[in-house]
Amino acid sequence: MSPKTLKYILKRIGLAILTVWVVITVTFFVMHAVPGGPFMSEKAVSPAAQAALEAKYGLDKPLLEQYFTYLKDVVTRFDFGPSLKQRGRMVIDIIRDGMKTSVKLGVVAACMAGIVGIVLGAVAALRRNKIIDKIIMVITTAFVSMPSFIMGSLLLALFAIHWAILPANGSTSKGLILPIITLALYPMAYITRLTRSSMLDVLGQDYIRTAKAKGVSGVKIIFGHALKNSLIPVITYFGPMLAYIVTGSLVVEQIFAVPGIGRAFVSSITNRDYPMVMGTTIVLAVLIVVMNLISDIMYKIIDPRINLE
Amino acid sequence: MEVQFENIKFERETKMKKILALVLAMTMVFALAAPSVFADGSSIAVCLASEPDTLDPALNSAVDGATLVSHLFSGLAKWAQDENGALVIVPDAAEELVEGVVNEDGTVTYTYTLRDGLKWSDGKPVTAADFAFAWQRAASVELGADYGYMFEVVDGYADIWAEEPPEGAALNVKAIDDKTLEVTLANAVSYWNELLAFPTYFPVREDVVANEGWATDPATYVSNGAYIMTGWNHNSVITLEKNPNFVDADSILMDKIEFYLSDDANNMVANFKNGTWQLIDDVPTNEMAALKAEYPDEYIVAGQIGTYYVCWNVNEDILPASSGLTGVEAENARAEIRNAISLLFDRNYIVEEIGQAGQVPASSFVAMGMTNPDGSQFYQTAGSSEEFDGYYDVSVDAVESNFDQAIEVLKKYYTFDESTFTFTDFPSMTYLYNTSEGHKAIGEYLQSALAGIGITMNLENQEWATFLNTRKNGDYSIARNGWLADYNDPICFLDMWTTASGNNDVQFGKGAHADVAAYSLDLTDLGVDVKVENGTWADTYDVLIKTIKGCTDNEIRYELMHRAEDLLMSTGCICPLYFYTDTYMISKDVDGFFANPLGYKYFMYCTIG
Repeated sequence: MSPKTLKYILKRIGLAILTVWVVITVTFFVMHAVPGGPFMSEKAVSPAAQAALEAKYGLDKPLLEQYFTYLKDVVTRFDFGPSLKQRGRMVIDIIRDGMKTSVKLGVVAACMAGIVGIVLGAVAALRRNKIIDKIIMVITTAFVSMPSFIMGSLLLALFAIHWAILPANGSTSKGLILPIITLALYPMAYITRLTRSSMLDVLGQDYIRTAKAKGVSGVKIIFGHALKNSLIPVITYFGPMLAYIVTGSLVVEQIFAVPGIGRAFVSSITNRDYPMVMGTTIVLAVLIVVMNLISDIMYKIIDPRINLE
Repeated sequence: MEVQFENIKFERETKMKKILALVLAMTMVFALAAPSVFADGSSIAVCLASEPDTLDPALNSAVDGATLVSHLFSGLAKWAQDENGALVIVPDAAEELVEGVVNEDGTVTYTYTLRDGLKWSDGKPVTAADFAFAWQRAASVELGADYGYMFEVVDGYADIWAEEPPEGAALNVKAIDDKTLEVTLANAVSYWNELLAFPTYFPVREDVVANEGWATDPATYVSNGAYIMTGWNHNSVITLEKNPNFVDADSILMDKIEFYLSDDANNMVANFKNGTWQLIDDVPTNEMAALKAEYPDEYIVAGQIGTYYVCWNVNEDILPASSGLTGVEAENARAEIRNAISLLFDRNYIVEEIGQAGQVPASSFVAMGMTNPDGSQFYQTAGSSEEFDGYYDVSVDAVESNFDQAIEVLKKYYTFDESTFTFTDFPSMTYLYNTSEGHKAIGEYLQSALAGIGITMNLENQEWATFLNTRKNGDYSIARNGWLADYNDPICFLDMWTTASGNNDVQFGKGAHADVAAYSLDLTDLGVDVKVENGTWADTYDVLIKTIKGCTDNEIRYELMHRAEDLLMSTGCICPLYFYTDTYMISKDVDGFFANPLGYKYFMYCTIG
């Protein structure tokens, strides 16, 4: 690795840390500015009980003091504190439970989207304007424009109710099949289109023509030259996509009752479960920042021509 | 050359290994995916709601949590079905539900004997001290439980919650020996046995709850009821299995209950339709009609003790700028106006076209399902009319006459334009509701009903926690509201409107209303020495509620509660719309299921036919 690349990576890591800090700070203060509190319920809790609970969780201290205590706990001990709503559980445990499922879901869906998308994209590019290309394009356009709640509901109605061959509930491994497909379809369609256009671009390049003129076999041209180079945009998309799938699976988790992080995140906000909101925000922010960082670095490694500055 | 061949061989070997690994992986996936085989025995899968906030009996305040806790724990009393299928409270851990002994100071002492052979799920014996500990804990300030106030009736509770608690303040409950529990109530309470069956009154063991996370993990969850928790896959499923140590284990028919955790009504229906779940506790509103037609025997609408209503902020001035009325006169006028507006709404339209879940149009605040001492419905004896139940006639036939009556009243205070049939100087208001399609639809109906006569009511929705905060602080003019009973006694609908109550969203006795001496109260005909003319809210309503709480004669107590509701409804600040129902679906293969009026569901005596 050249010193220039190293410097770039270090700079990006510094920026990533700064980003996460800004996210923590903004979330912390905005969250406390929203009306309502964690101990508020339809049936009123007496002021004495409320005060006792606030003292127990340190919410009676000045906001700035709470902020610095929180920051210190997170940085020095990776301690996100206890959940205020799910009494007796630690935020880190809730996040770990949710992430286990969400990551499983996200990684499988991303791999599926990547593999199927690249193959379909390559096939479409090589059979440009043929019937197979058109079919692929129509289907992918449909998948790209169909929101996941419609796709999810459709798959649920067909596979879980009409034919009843797959469970509607995401509590078992088998139950994750439908949510994975629902999650994978959008990025798969997107990758197909990305691969297709990028491959068409590469196939028109001079070096491909040169290779053809030299008599290099079709297979070798595709796998040795065209595919590799046309994957650059796909790889840059892959990192953010993985983060998007893991963090953005809320709707799908809801439809299929999957015990993932998305549902936990949203309910923590409606519950004003401050430590839980902070914990999930930090974990998701770190995930997105790291994924972006990786894909930027990958970009450089795959295509040395790219100037990082 | 040789090297090259070796390479090929190596490649083949790796390929074989890869294929083998793949086959292994696939087998594992299929093994995981295959339906798990349970030990012999019956099992039922149900879905009530999403992940419960807590399964600590003292901390729980949710209906789904109460259902789970009722399967896991055994209190002194429990809900059961008698031979006719009627719901009754029967002894559970106690040998019998004894009568109290009235002491000289008016307090009442109950002495319970625990049954023989009671054990915790870890085999240790259940003692009276466990009950005493659990109650002290549940009522304590330190725990700050939502339902800590359920111990309000027990002597000593007021001391614990006094601003400056006396030294050693505690509930008056003690274990005389391992099997004898003595508790003293501040005064006789007709619903005491029902409280004993309430989850907050269930026992917990001191060494178990010392671990703050005890109720979140099956490994540390020690209970004393019909079931033990054997699995909790958070946000996914909670598994209960029959407790072999339970003293009545022989009577428990269902061996295993799986509580799936989801709050998505569409997902619930999908799992019910494909037979995965045998009971679901929610159905999507827009599918109700279809489901009712498709599953006539499995779609259940049960009563639930609760009221959906609209509340006014008592301090909101709705008189026209030109009225010139002040003080008591102004408040009386506002009360008349608010009551008139209550007459403008067609509750039948709301329940049939919007709610669609079999709700019952309401004309009083204390909900359907609450009974008088003679067993008759409290709401049917509310109000003074002989012709209809409650405070106004909400039948379809009365819609027109109600409307005319309301217009006549409003004409007294506002300018009415006969040509357009509208009021021209009614100040515009804002209706506040929490974000939800159902509440919005009702808000829009109310808005259109008022718009018809020239009254502008804007709609504003807020997210739940913000909404609660706004309504509690009285920063609204008119708002959506709802109340579900905690126990079968009308007082839980009435004591929330005292000046100091944390649930007094109307702001009775607060702000300007504190000095409004517009209320009168005469209880001398009931033998109660209270007579107030032109008193404030604190002089009348607060006194009345205090009198009810100290009253030991049940007949008089109920009459007093009717009087309290009369006073409450006379303000017009409460506009009841309908009584809640509980809609759920249960497979026709399930026998022996029942639910109590508070919505707790019982699966222990279920069989699958």
